[in-house]
Amino acid sequence: MDNSEQKDIYKNYFNEIPCYVTVLNREKQLIDCNRVFKDHFGAKIGAYCWELCKGRMCKCQDCLVEKTFQTGEPGHGEELFVNIKGENIPVYVKTSAIYDKAGKIESVLVASTDISEVKKIQKKLNKTRQSLHQIFEEVPCYITVQDSDLVIRSANRKFREDFGEAVNIHCYEAYKHRDEPCLVCPVMKTFEDGRSNQSEEIVTSMGGEQFNVLVHTAPLRDHDGKISQVIEMSVNITQIRQLQDQLASLGLLVGSISHGIKGLASALDCGMYLMNSGLEINDRERIEKGWNIVSRNVDRIRSMISDILYYAKDRDLQYETVEIKTFINDIAEMMSSKAESFKVNFKTEFGDSLGEFKVDPTAIRSALVNILENSFDACRKDLDKPSHQVKFNVYSENASRNVIFDVIDNGIGMDRETQEKVFSLFFSSKGIEGTGLGLFISNKIISKHGGTIELKTKPKEGAHFRVTLPRELISGRQ
Amino acid sequence: MSKDPKKILVVEDEPDMLDFLSVFLHDNGFNVIIATDGRQGFEKAKKERPDLITLDITMPEESGVRTLRNIQEDPDTAAIPVIVITGVSKDFKKFIHERKTVKPPAGYLEKPFEKEELLAMATKLIGYNDKVT
Repeated sequence: MDNSEQKDIYKNYFNEIPCYVTVLNREKQLIDCNRVFKDHFGAKIGAYCWELCKGRMCKCQDCLVEKTFQTGEPGHGEELFVNIKGENIPVYVKTSAIYDKAGKIESVLVASTDISEVKKIQKKLNKTRQSLHQIFEEVPCYITVQDSDLVIRSANRKFREDFGEAVNIHCYEAYKHRDEPCLVCPVMKTFEDGRSNQSEEIVTSMGGEQFNVLVHTAPLRDHDGKISQVIEMSVNITQIRQLQDQLASLGLLVGSISHGIKGLASALDCGMYLMNSGLEINDRERIEKGWNIVSRNVDRIRSMISDILYYAKDRDLQYETVEIKTFINDIAEMMSSKAESFKVNFKTEFGDSLGEFKVDPTAIRSALVNILENSFDACRKDLDKPSHQVKFNVYSENASRNVIFDVIDNGIGMDRETQEKVFSLFFSSKGIEGTGLGLFISNKIISKHGGTIELKTKPKEGAHFRVTLPRELISGRQ
Repeated sequence: MSKDPKKILVVEDEPDMLDFLSVFLHDNGFNVIIATDGRQGFEKAKKERPDLITLDITMPEESGVRTLRNIQEDPDTAAIPVIVITGVSKDFKKFIHERKTVKPPAGYLEKPFEKEELLAMATKLIGYNDKVT
């Protein structure tokens, strides 16, 4: 092969290079170009490269070719060409210096690859990244990404809102204000077993609020398949837990009611048998005994209904200014008429200048009556003492902040266990009545008014309830 | 069929129920003795040797169950059939199956119960008496 043939071969290679190739002189004029460049940009020898490649009037600011002429180092970078049709062609440009025999740079070779496709993919990628980021940020639960040292590398908006700018601090610091990892850490577990894990935790917000959260963790793997990070997603379930508590209370309530009704039904059976058999044999005493039982228990139905309604509605209190003397006289009159059927000696002692107080009268009446009825019943149940009495004393000085209501009986009293449970919604199996709903509600009503109930009692001796109520509304306590 | 009326010991702390049980059983020909707490119940069981005992298990301080155990363990009273009356069925049933020291009673009634059921149970256990009323 002779020189001329070789030249032709190389010329052919040059021409067929599948990217835009130009050779430029120091003035950046076109000396030579390949076929692909000629097809897209034209082959005007001597034209300036900025005219040909970009359709510009003057040279470009950061010129890669210029740099290569100066330094002799190859250059590279992204550019935007404009072809003869006027279309924008994003390209990746690479330059290299061509030396003459003397070692001086006589021209620069510029090879540019069309990266339109790459650009399109990059745009799509950015868009996807953006959507993902938006999702990450806007998801209404807490998301953090931790590394294997449990340091938070990223956190979404909801997390930052409730737990602070937590990036680069440990998750146990941010979520729980601890100085060391939690004992059972679902994130650590995921690092170890490579699987998704779940747990329920209680966390504390920046503001000191406690939340119940359900935590899910999942591994994030790098290119080698190693777990480099773990994503932790926590859903706030505090409300659900509260609802659960309410349901549980409701369950207890239903249990209490059903127990109470069982007791009522049982007692009514007893009373009715005595009445019916008494009528059959014309035994007046038996008839009266039976009727007494029936009427007492019908009264209990009334109390039970108002207790259930109060509990079920959990009504907002309707406060009124009430004159105390009239109020307690009404209650005393009602209890007096019941006292005989319970065989109780009912005594009242009311102070002189009782004045007024601001209460929900229906609620407080209910609370006091429940306590009084409880004492009456305690007397009925006591079979040891020959006579029983219930004292209802109310006193206060007009200037004093509180009004005191005392209910003192010498009934059957309570043992320690009963005393401890008497105001709670405890489904008691002691006796037909049990502790039931009444005193629980009394306690609730009195607490809501900002008052207190105290109880002193001894088994077989009796009980002393003391209710203390403030005259004025205590702000913030309702 | 014995001519002597059978004796039933009623152990019950609720006055209304106590009245009812004693009157009802007496109306149906039984002699009735009463006790108002577990301790008294066990003492009277030993002393009077009734033919049958009704025992309210829901008396305070678990005394009902303790009394049942005492009755079952004491040779003087172990043979006397006991009908247990309870207000809380689930707890008692579970309890009776779990405790190894207490045998199931001869009879078991849940409040509120039918009085005819009590009568049938008592009759089955100790025999029939002519009705007084």
